[in-house]
Amino acid sequence: MLPELLQGIDAGGFLIIQDSASYSGRHLLKSFINSALDREEAVHVLGFEVSEEELKDGLKGSPIQRLHFHNAYTDPLGWTDHPAFTVHQFCLEELTRLVKQTSHPKPATLVIDSLSWILRHLSPPDVCKTLQQFRKGGAVRAIIGLLHADMHQSGTVGSVCHLATSVITVVPVVKGDKAVAKITKRSKSGKVMQDEEIFSIKDDFTVIVQGKPSQHGPKQADPKEQETDPTANLTFNLRLSDTEREAKEKLALPFVFSKEKKTALLHSGPGSGRILYEPDANDDYDQEDPDDDLDV
Amino acid sequence: MAAPMSSVAKPSAERSPFNTTSFQKKTRSKLISIPGTRPSVQNGQLLVSTGVTSLDYLLGGGLAVGTVLLIEEDRYDSYSRMILKYFLAEGVVCRHELFVAAAQDNPDDILQELPAPILDDVAIHKPVEQPRLSCEAQNSLDAMKIAWRYQNLPKVQSALASSSRFGHYYDVSKTMEPEIRQAAKCHRFYPTEHPTQSSPTHSTMPESYSALLKSLQEVIHREGFDVAAPMSKSRNILRIGLHSLGSALWGDDLCCHDNPRNGHALTTFLYGLRALLRSSLSVAVVTVPSHLIQDRALMGSVTRLCDNAIALESFKGSERETNPLYKDYHGLLHVRQVPHLNCLASKLPDHKDLAFKLKRKQFSIERMHLPPDLSETVSRVSRGELAGAVMVASGCGSGTSGNKHLDF
Amino acid sequence: MYTELNSILNTSPDSFTQGEFVLLSDRKSDASFLIHHFLSLYLRARCKVWFLGLVQSFNHYSAISQRLGVSLVQAKEKGQLVFLEGLNESLSVLIPQETDTRSQAMGFLSDPAVGLKSLYEFVRSSVTSSGGGEEEADGAEEWGPPVLLVDDISVLLSLGVSVGAVLDFSHYCRATVCSQLQGNVVMLVRCDGEEEEDDGDDEGSERLLKGLTHQCSLTLHVQGLPTGFCRDIHGQVEVCWRRRQGDWQYTQKKLFQYKVHDKGASFFAPGTSSAVL
Repeated sequence: MLPELLQGIDAGGFLIIQDSASYSGRHLLKSFINSALDREEAVHVLGFEVSEEELKDGLKGSPIQRLHFHNAYTDPLGWTDHPAFTVHQFCLEELTRLVKQTSHPKPATLVIDSLSWILRHLSPPDVCKTLQQFRKGGAVRAIIGLLHADMHQSGTVGSVCHLATSVITVVPVVKGDKAVAKITKRSKSGKVMQDEEIFSIKDDFTVIVQGKPSQHGPKQADPKEQETDPTANLTFNLRLSDTEREAKEKLALPFVFSKEKKTALLHSGPGSGRILYEPDANDDYDQEDPDDDLDV
Repeated sequence: MAAPMSSVAKPSAERSPFNTTSFQKKTRSKLISIPGTRPSVQNGQLLVSTGVTSLDYLLGGGLAVGTVLLIEEDRYDSYSRMILKYFLAEGVVCRHELFVAAAQDNPDDILQELPAPILDDVAIHKPVEQPRLSCEAQNSLDAMKIAWRYQNLPKVQSALASSSRFGHYYDVSKTMEPEIRQAAKCHRFYPTEHPTQSSPTHSTMPESYSALLKSLQEVIHREGFDVAAPMSKSRNILRIGLHSLGSALWGDDLCCHDNPRNGHALTTFLYGLRALLRSSLSVAVVTVPSHLIQDRALMGSVTRLCDNAIALESFKGSERETNPLYKDYHGLLHVRQVPHLNCLASKLPDHKDLAFKLKRKQFSIERMHLPPDLSETVSRVSRGELAGAVMVASGCGSGTSGNKHLDF
Repeated sequence: MYTELNSILNTSPDSFTQGEFVLLSDRKSDASFLIHHFLSLYLRARCKVWFLGLVQSFNHYSAISQRLGVSLVQAKEKGQLVFLEGLNESLSVLIPQETDTRSQAMGFLSDPAVGLKSLYEFVRSSVTSSGGGEEEADGAEEWGPPVLLVDDISVLLSLGVSVGAVLDFSHYCRATVCSQLQGNVVMLVRCDGEEEEDDGDDEGSERLLKGLTHQCSLTLHVQGLPTGFCRDIHGQVEVCWRRRQGDWQYTQKKLFQYKVHDKGASFFAPGTSSAVL
């Protein structure tokens, strides 16, 4: 499902890539930018968290002239004298102005990196309102936003994601550079599709889907236990085949007596000696319980 | 008695306390010699004694001048208050200057309760020499006749102590004579005596804290404890004892609410205190009623703003009072933090399971161990409990839990 | 400077990545030994270093750097090191006197709600002004790219500054030093307590750590051993590269155990301490 999303989001769509501190979703975001550029769409990036150089770093091969970077990175709060774009300008009019600055035949995609920055400084209802109005306004074809879910209250994350048509949550896999994408997609008809895919991203930002995490949950829960099974990879044989076991059971071990022999030894027949003892009153009998310190 | 096998693993420096005398650390002429101080073996830091010998050992020889010792109070504030008094009494004996601040009692009351120094070592006015242990006499007395092979093994010494003596001993049952006490110069701070003047700039700190900081700074400037002050005068140490900071009486609501209004007041104060101490010849002991503070994260940042931090956990009133494991002790002592001052590697304690007991003549901190089993009839059930309790105790001591896998 | 850490991070005084934001963090342990590594590394690399020492006095850093073979006093005299001693500066704000001038950099102490713009102004003005003076080359020595070190940034939370304000400050530092001037930023953040799964609504060091992790390009996270206290191994450090550099992966993680000595620290793969081998 990831490839279909990369192929293009429906007009009026709103995609959110949710990540956490353990795995950054920015690489996937770059893949989306890259594929949009390849489709000859214009892409406007509202960059709070990375500089223009850093964003364009890996995108050299793509037709970069259609990528318009709006610098909200250097001075998002207006602390210096010449802010290019501050977080307080995040409203319908300013956004429309930004996108309309450049004329391009095809409708543009707006990429917001990241929504977390905006949500930290503006109230969540305002942000939601602006996003929804802008999406409906028709100035852009689609909006893609990066959201650091672990930076906000779950309610905030929930209400922003509620606006989105598609949400991709990226979670790292324990080993390697792969990650799992949990995708939820809502179509206009109200049909909801959910999917989980393991993916990796190559140097040129192409996404390679490597199948589904089948029974991934339990496998992920204790990978250590599985790895440290001591009998798994031994150079010698610890297990028995059926024939081997049979042979083993047949073998009579030394000093193991058969049942007959045991009973014969225990109940000796007539003719052998026995000790008979009847205690009498004069016997030296120990009054104390020998086990009284045992205190069980 | 049994052979002292358990102490074989002690570091060799500790094992032979007798032959340290021939070797002397090269003293730097730069260091100022002040009565009652000595340079640290580890980093040349100037140390003063806390008045509790075993606590000095635990802190790496003593309290470094310019640092803060945080004591998390026990529930009834009996032992933490005792350590504070020891610290102040040691200051009196060493002729240091004192600064006492308390909100609960008048600082004078605390000063009147100081324990009496034990008089056989009232060589008070001389700088502390390092009296050698009289090893010969000891040897002839304790010469073993039968199990003589054990002779060369070191003594089991569960009380923590360093080889050389530093600091004095005190008799808790008596209070210090007024003449000795009044010889020491003492500054007091009692919040109710300091009328709050309104200064609008301090929105973060309650009045009492900023007044205390101000009064501390005044004393340090006036009495010449600044490091930058001219060297002409003979230098002295200022010992600062701050009792029960953070309690409601200081005008702080840390202990009263889960989400205190001025939650940063105490930490800001401690930041200011550290700033003052680092630039002066002074050393502070601060007690904080941590059991009243609901927010553990806040306690963490309080700890990090102090240099040393220990916590006392008294058995009074807890179910541990009756546990036979702890019958020899009065409480547990947790080392929360050891200082990283002027050195990369701090001296980590060899042991984390520590307990303290208060005897008439000594407050001692010991490695916790099971008491020897002398009784004839031992109940098995309680043994099982003991083992369990030890497990719990060592788990607490190591700080982290969850032994799911081995690290090496 | 610990040579073993240099080889782990693939850096040396002669060659290091520029424009990096390194985050040092710890939990139930002490990562401050790492800040000394970076301080001495960048001083040796002949970078111009700005050091915001918020928790210790200059003497402390100087004494340790001496053991690591770098003299901070000399570096300061040469103009290579600019040291902001937060403790000293804070006093004039915490205990206002009529006569003296208030420190601008630590001005946030009197009202933490206004944020850290003043502290950033201090950094920016000194970083950018010296950058201009350097090109004039009026007999002064030439220094390499600027480096900003902060020890430790989480103490600002204890002084009443909000997490958001600290994140804004670090963002601006990164934008100025890393991106604009191609220098490096190293910050230490100290956490307490367990890692907990919460909604991110707490105003604590935990949230600060997450926010900074999103900003940085390299993290070194120090923890105590999960199995408890040990005298020969002081803890473990998890190194994580978060940015693609050359042919490296995105998030590459490596785990090492370490021991701090008097004059340095040694790092080794888990289980290969000299105490157990």
